[in-house]
Amino acid sequence: MEEQQQPLAERLDLFACIQCGKCTGGCPVSIRSPLNIRKVIRESTVREDLHIFFNRLEIWDCTTCSTCAIRCPRGLSPVDAIIGLREMMVEEGKIEKTVIDALDGAYKYGNPWGRAKNKRAEWAQDLDIPNAMEMEPGQVLYFVCCAASYDPRIQVIAKSLVAVLRAAGVSFGILGNKEVCCGSEIRRMGEAGLFEMLMEENMKNFAKIDPGVIVTTSPHCMNALKNDYDGLGCDVKHYSQFVWGLIEEGKLTFDTPVPMKVTYHDPCYLGKQNGVFDEPRDILKSIPGIDFVEFGRCRENSLCCEGGGGRMWMEGTGIGKRLSEVRVEDALEMGVEAIITACPFCLLTLEDAVKTTGNEEKLKVIDLMELASMAIGNSPETENEF
Amino acid sequence: MDIIVCIKRVPETAEADLVIDKSKKGIDTDGLVFSINEWDNYAVEAAIQLKEAQGGKITVISVGPEENNEVLRRALAMGADEAIRLTDPAFEGSDATAMAKILAAAIRELPHDLILTGVQADDDGFGAVGVALAQMLDLPYAALVTDINLEGDTMTVHRELEGGLEEVDKLKLPALLTIQTGINEPRYVSIMGIRRVAKKEIAAKGASELALSGNEVGPEGSMSQIEELFFPPVGEGAEIIEGTMDEKAEALVKIIKERGGVA
Repeated sequence: MEEQQQPLAERLDLFACIQCGKCTGGCPVSIRSPLNIRKVIRESTVREDLHIFFNRLEIWDCTTCSTCAIRCPRGLSPVDAIIGLREMMVEEGKIEKTVIDALDGAYKYGNPWGRAKNKRAEWAQDLDIPNAMEMEPGQVLYFVCCAASYDPRIQVIAKSLVAVLRAAGVSFGILGNKEVCCGSEIRRMGEAGLFEMLMEENMKNFAKIDPGVIVTTSPHCMNALKNDYDGLGCDVKHYSQFVWGLIEEGKLTFDTPVPMKVTYHDPCYLGKQNGVFDEPRDILKSIPGIDFVEFGRCRENSLCCEGGGGRMWMEGTGIGKRLSEVRVEDALEMGVEAIITACPFCLLTLEDAVKTTGNEEKLKVIDLMELASMAIGNSPETENEF
Repeated sequence: MDIIVCIKRVPETAEADLVIDKSKKGIDTDGLVFSINEWDNYAVEAAIQLKEAQGGKITVISVGPEENNEVLRRALAMGADEAIRLTDPAFEGSDATAMAKILAAAIRELPHDLILTGVQADDDGFGAVGVALAQMLDLPYAALVTDINLEGDTMTVHRELEGGLEEVDKLKLPALLTIQTGINEPRYVSIMGIRRVAKKEIAAKGASELALSGNEVGPEGSMSQIEELFFPPVGEGAEIIEGTMDEKAEALVKIIKERGGVA
């Protein structure tokens, strides 16, 4: 990536904007934040000095869900203007402490939580997963990434996926402590140079392994590897795509009924940004006992959980109900027992919202792989969740 | 105004499982992540803010091997103008006072109105280099500084004392301050920023260039030596609560209630 000398508006073709306002109209955070993406675009094109944005904390409210880019009739990507502004703030070092900590953590330890490098594979120590560096070319590489490596709640997704892959007879490896953050959130917090560094580190290992396919825990990593990495040269799949493929090929069947009325929350990075709407639903529907109902706002219109774009490290300026709380209330109204999702950030934000709204007794948030693992006969991994 | 900031490169130990090395006087640094000493980072930021407010030149100095160029370069990316690395095999094993002698020898040769150091270092925690340096350079100083206000050649500084007290001092320049964490919010240094200064030259000076003899530095020139490093023995009294999450919570609440933690 070359250093960005070109003014933001020119680089992103923002002069093509017709100020129709469909971006702000569709922006999920505009309901609770002063962020007005249409206005940001306008100002970026007419102001000479973009320092005017530096004191506007709402620039950090954007979750990079990309609804604006999907809806723009001129095919522009307003979200990239936000990332561009953040890049300028990062270059001048004028960013919030929590963001600095996340970036420092990713730089020093390869993960935005700043956890020790040599503890990255601790979640897998009893699972006997082969070291991907010693695999034959063309095999399956499971790219675990940070949340699933370090967050005890998200480790459950990784363990469940491992159980499901094994039940389907898939041989696969992990990078272990050699893996570093995919950089998705780092790039979206505006640290382009650090993103590039992380990408190069992972690419170096990918080149040595030469995998046939890389399977990711998170839609954010899948998106980064697939759309942000330069010249990866191998297939990248979110686990929902890969596992549905196993079911279609007849390698995986769900024999244990999971009687539960559920709905499915589309992660923005899986659905809106990569068009993966059907595979997670197809997996859900192939589990016996599942009674599946759709959210009113689903698929392309799904409501963002506010966990993306660095928001895991920034509370944001928004007032009133969090969107994840809106989501929880919608689910309760539908009378479901659980929201199923397929993204670590969605899982964490929705589960928080269940707690902050005091609905722990009424509603669960379960990852699709946790459910799949139950459907192949495993007992739930989290003792408190079910 | 010429500002000099002394910075140290230290291992980050908060998340690491530390191992004491064979000499029993140090830790095994293999696999540890190194960065600028936290206090020094605040000192660099303080210098940059002073420069931004009234101009001047910032020189950063570090004592140590070539790896120290990392922290010097980071300070350059942050906004320092020059960097000097003081390095010599004879410097190894220097305690805080010997370190201060090395720094003093270099600083005497440079124009200086204000010298900043961190209050202490993350690794050895002496908290002595700054004040010893002021003594050797015969400069007025203030330690544990949490606020700096410059007016002409006079400086009003706040010092953080125990018990929540804050002291206000007036000092005449040239002077030395040891900077406390929290005095400012150190800016982020981006990877591109560091790359931009990658080719900037960092001068290296040895003992002979600083006119220091072997018996002034290293173990011979030190007032104290590390005898031993060890982990304190594990004490008694820890109770690990077993059971399911509910049982653990119940047991915990019971203990807290019994000990008067909650009514």
